[in-house]
Amino acid sequence: MPGVDHCLQEAMTIPGAVGASIVDYTTGFPVATTGAAPNEDHEAAAAGTAEVVQAANSRSLFVSAIPHDLLEDLIITTAGGYHLLRMVQTEFDSRLVLYVWLDRIRGNLAVARRMMQRLADELVTAR
Amino acid sequence: MAPTKTAAPGDLLTRVAEARQTGALMVGGHPGGAVYVFEGRVIYAESPAAPGVGELLTSSGRLAGRTWQSALDLGTSTAWVGRLLVEQGHLTQGELELCVLGATYDAAYFALSAESAPVEFLPGATHWLGAVVHIDAAAVSREVLRRVHLLDEIFPNRRIDVEPVSPVTRPPRERVTVTAAQWELLVHADGQRTPADLAQLLGRAGYATIQELRRMAAAGLIELPETRAADGPEFVRLPHPRGASAPVDRTTPAVPVISGMKGPEPTARHPPPNSDPPSASAAVESPTATNRPPRLARRKPGAKLPKELATDSPPVHQGTDEVLLKRIRTALRALR
Repeated sequence: MPGVDHCLQEAMTIPGAVGASIVDYTTGFPVATTGAAPNEDHEAAAAGTAEVVQAANSRSLFVSAIPHDLLEDLIITTAGGYHLLRMVQTEFDSRLVLYVWLDRIRGNLAVARRMMQRLADELVTAR
Repeated sequence: MAPTKTAAPGDLLTRVAEARQTGALMVGGHPGGAVYVFEGRVIYAESPAAPGVGELLTSSGRLAGRTWQSALDLGTSTAWVGRLLVEQGHLTQGELELCVLGATYDAAYFALSAESAPVEFLPGATHWLGAVVHIDAAAVSREVLRRVHLLDEIFPNRRIDVEPVSPVTRPPRERVTVTAAQWELLVHADGQRTPADLAQLLGRAGYATIQELRRMAAAGLIELPETRAADGPEFVRLPHPRGASAPVDRTTPAVPVISGMKGPEPTARHPPPNSDPPSASAAVESPTATNRPPRLARRKPGAKLPKELATDSPPVHQGTDEVLLKRIRTALRALR
């Protein structure tokens, strides 16, 4: 049975992954973390992650153009890495996002996105 | 057993955690709550202002009422309810952990954010949910503080968190934008429901509810609670209810805690004084009325209560086992 820790362990097996966390984006709180974080500070990274998700969700029109067209993931590319944010859709009330930090050279964006989708789904759906 | 005393709940939690104790930290006051500690680590927290795991799972439709009820029936005595739901295949381990983590931090905010409250540590008490997660107590305390600051950055008015919510009848601008969560709150706010009521009704986290309310207050979309009724002198001049000769002890009585028992329901869920229609203050003889303004004093001596109020059932006893009531409610829902 994959729990939260197992999910993060799996996220770290994504090629190029240097850090991963699950973040509550209403409060900007890292519910669970593993590996490295930008500036070695998971809490600051989570707070920043939350702001990015909220901006995409409510301060832009990307998400609200079509009814039920929900945000799935966000990719932020920097010179040194990829920062992937995948929404975790639980049926009960929660606002969670899976965050994985990838090394730009070792990471493969397509592979990482597919693996994160699988991980986020497995976390909350019985198979 | 440590006697009930008034202290900062967060400090007591730190001491309990340092001593690696197991038990429940009961916090009185408004809204109050309980934080369950296992060998110094936080395993669960609950508060009347924050929907618990059961409410979150059933009100969202994730679990049927009867599924939750049968897990309670089977697992309560052994404190195994959480794992049971996973073992029976109703929830994934991930869902359970995320739900418990969310509910715990949410309730911990309400239980621990008070600077001073009647607190009591009950050694050995466990929660019927069982230990699903183990959270470092210092992390919980830190997060509670951070959440307090976050709210004050949005709009520094703590009364918004507890007073009934009234949307403004005329928005302050021609064009207003609300999020889905804010819309949901505005539609359900009726001038009577407190933020805690709304959170329970909608199955939304209590803290997230307050956060949206403070944002809407900042945007001028909800009425600000009247400051007149705050800790002004009027509040202090309150006469004691009839029949009480000594000053009324407003600290919650110590309740013998069996596993899973919540603290006594505080009066925070009743509409506060300033929103009461005058007739409702006739309930002044109930123990929950100690913090109401003395409206009834204007009644003529010997006047009778209106019939519909006189036949009201007596107030719920303070020590009522809330878990039992919740189980009955869930069972009734399952019958529908």
